[in-house]
Amino acid sequence: MSSIEEKLWNYIDGNCNADEQQAISLLIERDEIYRRKYKELLALNAEFSAMELDEPPMAFTYNVMEQIRAEVALKPLKTTIDTRIFKGIAAFFIMSIVALIIFALSQVDWSAGQAVNFKLPEYKMPDTAGLFSGPAFEIFLFFDVVLGLYLSDAWLRRKKAVKAV
Amino acid sequence: MQSKLTDIELIEQTLAGNQSAYADLVRRHQRFIFTLALRFTKSREDAEEVAQDCFVKAYRSLSGYQAQSKFSTWLYSIVYTTAMTHLRKKRLDTDSIDDEATFIQIENKPSGYDADNVENKSRSYYLNKAIEQLLPDDATIITLFYKGEQSLDEIAQALGIEANTVKVKLFRARQRLKEKLERSLKHEAKELI
Repeated sequence: MSSIEEKLWNYIDGNCNADEQQAISLLIERDEIYRRKYKELLALNAEFSAMELDEPPMAFTYNVMEQIRAEVALKPLKTTIDTRIFKGIAAFFIMSIVALIIFALSQVDWSAGQAVNFKLPEYKMPDTAGLFSGPAFEIFLFFDVVLGLYLSDAWLRRKKAVKAV
Repeated sequence: MQSKLTDIELIEQTLAGNQSAYADLVRRHQRFIFTLALRFTKSREDAEEVAQDCFVKAYRSLSGYQAQSKFSTWLYSIVYTTAMTHLRKKRLDTDSIDDEATFIQIENKPSGYDADNVENKSRSYYLNKAIEQLLPDDATIITLFYKGEQSLDEIAQALGIEANTVKVKLFRARQRLKEKLERSLKHEAKELI
């Protein structure tokens, strides 16, 4: 590493302190070798500064923004929704349920010690035996099976297509 | 009007949901980022990919950018890591770029220019050719220093190294570039004679 060049580069870049700067200025002024080298490095520095930047393709910005737009669109909905909203709703329901339980418990007459004798009211169940037999029920079942097959086929096709992508 | 806004103002607008503000940021920095990526990859296609990746990554982590350093410095650190990952993926042997044999091979490539065209070749053309032959690290430091308006400290921050190391690397990179430039010009002069 040439110490003259190193000193001069530091001087050109402005990386030396005031004393060093003064000392190098004097050397450039008085020493022919320093002066010549300084001029050479100064020219080189100007040349390096004038280097040209490369130009990206015309559609560069457009491509970047398209990629960003696609990424934003692909982002699953659950990541874009603030989880605090979910937590807030959950807290509201939990508090309502707890308040309801507390209210219900406060209304109970705990002093009532005698055995409770409940009797459910009499209810006659409707006769459904006729509904699950006959041609109408068979047609309904057949339609359900066909619909089930159609929907599962559609679901499998969609799953296969997603896998292929 | 948008182009007169500072980088920070454009970032604030982007974070507020204005995507066109980010497009302005991309337009502002794309030439430099692309050149920097090219210094690493040595191929325009790869450089385009790296530069695009860099801007997309920057967009993703824009909310994490703290204006303690310049936006450009932050962006250069992303280019650096993106380019390094890209090179690692491509298993590019960067050492061979500076190989003397490679240099000679590049030098001895038949020139596509005739005598009339030779006059049109500027020193800037030779300078770019010489930079292409440098190691990616050297080419990056030279580009960051001269075209990125970055101080030694900022370059150190972008590359994740000490400022003193940058100073030494810059000195060596300049030496190598000077040698390659002189060799390139000498060769051209010989061709002319």
